[in-house]
Amino acid sequence: MTLLSRSKEAQETQEILGRRNSTLTRATAYVALGGFILATLFPFWFMLRTAFSTTRRLSADPLSVLPVDFTWGAFERVLGIATSEQSVAEGGSGQSLDFFQYFMNSVISTTGATVSQVIFSAAAAYAFGVLKWRGRDAIFFLFLFALTVPAIFLVLPNYLFIREIGLLNTLAGVMAPHMLMAPFAVFFLRQVFLGTNMSIVEAAVIDGANHLRIFFQIVLPMARSQVLTVFILQYITIWNDYLWPLYIGSSEETSKTLTVALGIFKSQTPQGNPDWAGLMAGALVAALPMLLLMVFLGRRIVGSIQDSAVK
Amino acid sequence: MTFMKNSRRAALAAVAGLPLVLAACAGGGSDAGSGDSSESADAGAESGVTLAYGLWDANQLPAYEQCAADFTAQTGIGVDIEQIGWDDYWAKVRAGFVSGDGYDVFTSHLAFYPEFVANGQVLAIDDYVEADGFDVNQYHPGLADLWTNPEGQRFGLPKDFDTIALFANKKMLDEAGLTEADLANLDWNPQDGGSYEDVIARLTVDANGVRGDEPGFDKANIDTYGIWMENSGGGDGQTQWSFLAAANGWKVNDGPWSNTYKYDDPKLHETIDWWYSLVEKGYMPSFDIQSGAGWADQLIAGEVALASNGSWMTGYIFSQGNENFEPTLVPTPVGPTGDRASMYNGLADNIFAGTEHPDEAWQWVKYMGTTDCQDVVASYAVVFPAIPSSTEKAVAAMGELGIDVAPFYVHIEDGTTFLFPIADKKSQVQELITPAMEAVMSGNAPASSLSAVNDQILALFE
Amino acid sequence: MSDIVAMFRGKRRSSDFIPALGFMLPALIGLGIFVVFPGVRGIYLSFTEYNIFRDPEFIGLENYEKALQDPFVWNALWVTLQYVAINIGVQTVFALLLAVLMHRFTKSVWVRGVLLLPYLISNVVVALVWLWLLDYNLGYVNAIIDFIGLDRTPFFGETTAMATIALINVWRHLGYTALLIFAGLLTIPKDVYEAAEVDGSGEWRTFFGVTLPLLRPVMFFVLVITITGSFQIFDTIAVTTGGGPVNATRTFSILITDKAWNSNQFGYAAAISVILMLILIAVALIQMRLLRGNESDLER
Repeated sequence: MTLLSRSKEAQETQEILGRRNSTLTRATAYVALGGFILATLFPFWFMLRTAFSTTRRLSADPLSVLPVDFTWGAFERVLGIATSEQSVAEGGSGQSLDFFQYFMNSVISTTGATVSQVIFSAAAAYAFGVLKWRGRDAIFFLFLFALTVPAIFLVLPNYLFIREIGLLNTLAGVMAPHMLMAPFAVFFLRQVFLGTNMSIVEAAVIDGANHLRIFFQIVLPMARSQVLTVFILQYITIWNDYLWPLYIGSSEETSKTLTVALGIFKSQTPQGNPDWAGLMAGALVAALPMLLLMVFLGRRIVGSIQDSAVK
Repeated sequence: MTFMKNSRRAALAAVAGLPLVLAACAGGGSDAGSGDSSESADAGAESGVTLAYGLWDANQLPAYEQCAADFTAQTGIGVDIEQIGWDDYWAKVRAGFVSGDGYDVFTSHLAFYPEFVANGQVLAIDDYVEADGFDVNQYHPGLADLWTNPEGQRFGLPKDFDTIALFANKKMLDEAGLTEADLANLDWNPQDGGSYEDVIARLTVDANGVRGDEPGFDKANIDTYGIWMENSGGGDGQTQWSFLAAANGWKVNDGPWSNTYKYDDPKLHETIDWWYSLVEKGYMPSFDIQSGAGWADQLIAGEVALASNGSWMTGYIFSQGNENFEPTLVPTPVGPTGDRASMYNGLADNIFAGTEHPDEAWQWVKYMGTTDCQDVVASYAVVFPAIPSSTEKAVAAMGELGIDVAPFYVHIEDGTTFLFPIADKKSQVQELITPAMEAVMSGNAPASSLSAVNDQILALFE
Repeated sequence: MSDIVAMFRGKRRSSDFIPALGFMLPALIGLGIFVVFPGVRGIYLSFTEYNIFRDPEFIGLENYEKALQDPFVWNALWVTLQYVAINIGVQTVFALLLAVLMHRFTKSVWVRGVLLLPYLISNVVVALVWLWLLDYNLGYVNAIIDFIGLDRTPFFGETTAMATIALINVWRHLGYTALLIFAGLLTIPKDVYEAAEVDGSGEWRTFFGVTLPLLRPVMFFVLVITITGSFQIFDTIAVTTGGGPVNATRTFSILITDKAWNSNQFGYAAAISVILMLILIAVALIQMRLLRGNESDLER
């Protein structure tokens, strides 16, 4: 059960299933997969070609397959290395972007929030999925119901709370609501831990291991790839978070995240047109760190699991 | 049984903790709500203060950055400008009200400020105006009044104004054999549409190259539309239909802050019914078709010949000329009243009632309300400043860029403007009228269906 | 609530309550501060007349009475259900298909990475990109439709907008959902498939008789997550249609935002939120019953 890699057993399962594939099924399957991949990538090609276009020339040729008036201008605007005049001339906003500051803000707050969230969510999931106690499902359902509270309900009171505790315009304030748990993470990891091989846990108990040891040395390592899956998915979610950091952190350079900074590429008036090239370039640049994360962690998991003796 | 007790105790503790947090938070909320409007007004402006200032229009940012730099050099008061796109901007402004940590001064809009006033979130500037002997009559007539409430309190100084004209693609006008003289004095009426409709028909071209006023025109297969529909316009129709309805003698209400809506007036109904008839004739895209990329993109890409819109779009549209699109302006038509008409709107800056630096905030607002700043804004040729002498400079600056803005300015010269409808509960009114107007423009209902909505709107004020 | 508790009282359990409390305490505190407390406060506000600038005033059930008679609320229920039906229906079937395809036919890490790409792009940008791609005159999709000789389609029209928006979100979340299901497929032990093979069970019978039942806990999880999320659809609509044409896409979240921020009726917006919350809780409970989500057919 992993995001980017497969365990040995999974490989064997695939081989068993593979034996039944006729050439026809195989061909159909590849066509279908190819279709999914094509449909997935089609808008990305559009984003790329737009990002390399000159905004002011774009709408002249909306159906161009290649970039219209190829330029690096949009990326220069996003990275904040274009001057105000330059960017306005190309159809951008005159705002300058301190890209690396915002980038670091995003890296720090997203990493901090995700690491802490996954650890605490996993701990809670351990209580709900491995430990046995009366009323655990009732408490667990509190987390489930947390998914049903409309987000708009929570933004304002949470904003006021952050202000009360003096964390407005700090990265700590941006991270705070994510740090202790996410219902999704608790839920997902509980489902995973429910399938924990209890005989191993019981053996450890007989050996006199305490719960902290069982959690950190047995349960977590066994579910390593699932935990990483949650980590990656939540990292992406928090990285893309927009409304909350806009409220909490947008007024100070030290707490403005990348997605909020890129918000200036959006439409400036109700009927206005956004800086299309800048917006697309910004979206691609903002996605890049997560792409690297996926590639990096993906490789790591492959290595560690194959060496692992624990099934 | 131990765990039973424990879990119950834990639950109790959790519940008992709640009211504490609740109280803390509620306290915070009301704290911010009351605002610090009691700040003494006579404390002199201090240097070393930095004001937080917000605006949404990126096109105007460089101009105001220049103003802020000049202002700081003059007064020693710093200005920190934050520009955020329209939707997020208002979320940020409102959140700032609640927290008390928002902008000290922010660019405001007539659609929102009545609610800010009603809730005591923005500062009345009458005392300052009086103390400084500031001349509020130096602006184009009527603009300053937009920013006073029915009790006569003033909340802002006008920065700029806007009127309506038709953005046109000159290439298409030429191809249709229409001259400037043909277009300078269009007339319109809701019965046959007048020469205005003739021009729109002429400019519409079907897939076979047949024009809208020629035999064999295929209205189901349009290549180029005569005029674009930009949504239904909701209850104001600022850029969509208000210039027609007003030229037909219709008024939305009895003036600023009036609660007597007139969406049941047959003069409005016949205007809107005519407007919708353009869809059925094939001269204008249907509501479904227009609900994608905006009017400006369509005009620039050469999908449409005309689009009515506001002067604030001038800079953008004229920078977009290309092989399919040569920008030009055409004045709105003369209606049954014998005059043209244009909605007249403008921006001003509001001061947050909870600001810690009301005196410095006023200094900045005042600076933006004088020729010192408005001449700078004029030189950037993006909007029309509110002071007549600055307006002329802006017109000249636009002229240097090859833009003849007379079709916007003619409304000022002829005195054919009418004010943007300012009213209380505006957003509730819009919530009712917008879907109804969309239904009319989708062809689901005749314009007379708006009468029923008018009753619902009037009921809001009972 | 007693119902739920009763459901899980089957087995006799030794009590790990004390360590459990330790393990879940941080998460419980987070839940309390950032969800339960504001949630409870929101419920209180739903019984008041409140705009964010002034103190709330208690008015009893007035907001709820008003909501039940408000045609906008009923419309929101109807269009939200349309969205959820299309979004969840299409997404679940495709994600399941995609997961099975990945499970059986490819070993490539890259394929999975590519399918997750849309999730890396923020909602707002995704909506803007598709708004452009699907435009009647200027969009590629209609250009292609036109090229192959079909009639152009107004994708954001009154009858089509909801389906279009639902499918845009399928595009963004398909890879994500497929990966969750894929993860579930990997937990099914190989001996189950070996046994099926020995029995001579066919493709379809293996899938419906073995794979799908064993996926039940994962499907339960995936459906609860996606359905509760789906009911709260906001960003994509705000960017594309803003609730129109007419009221065709004025879902609960759009309506709630309009009421809370645009017309400053925070108390009323809170009441509509509570109604949405009750619907979501009911849906979650129904799912739990139907999918018996807490049981796994695999005894370990």
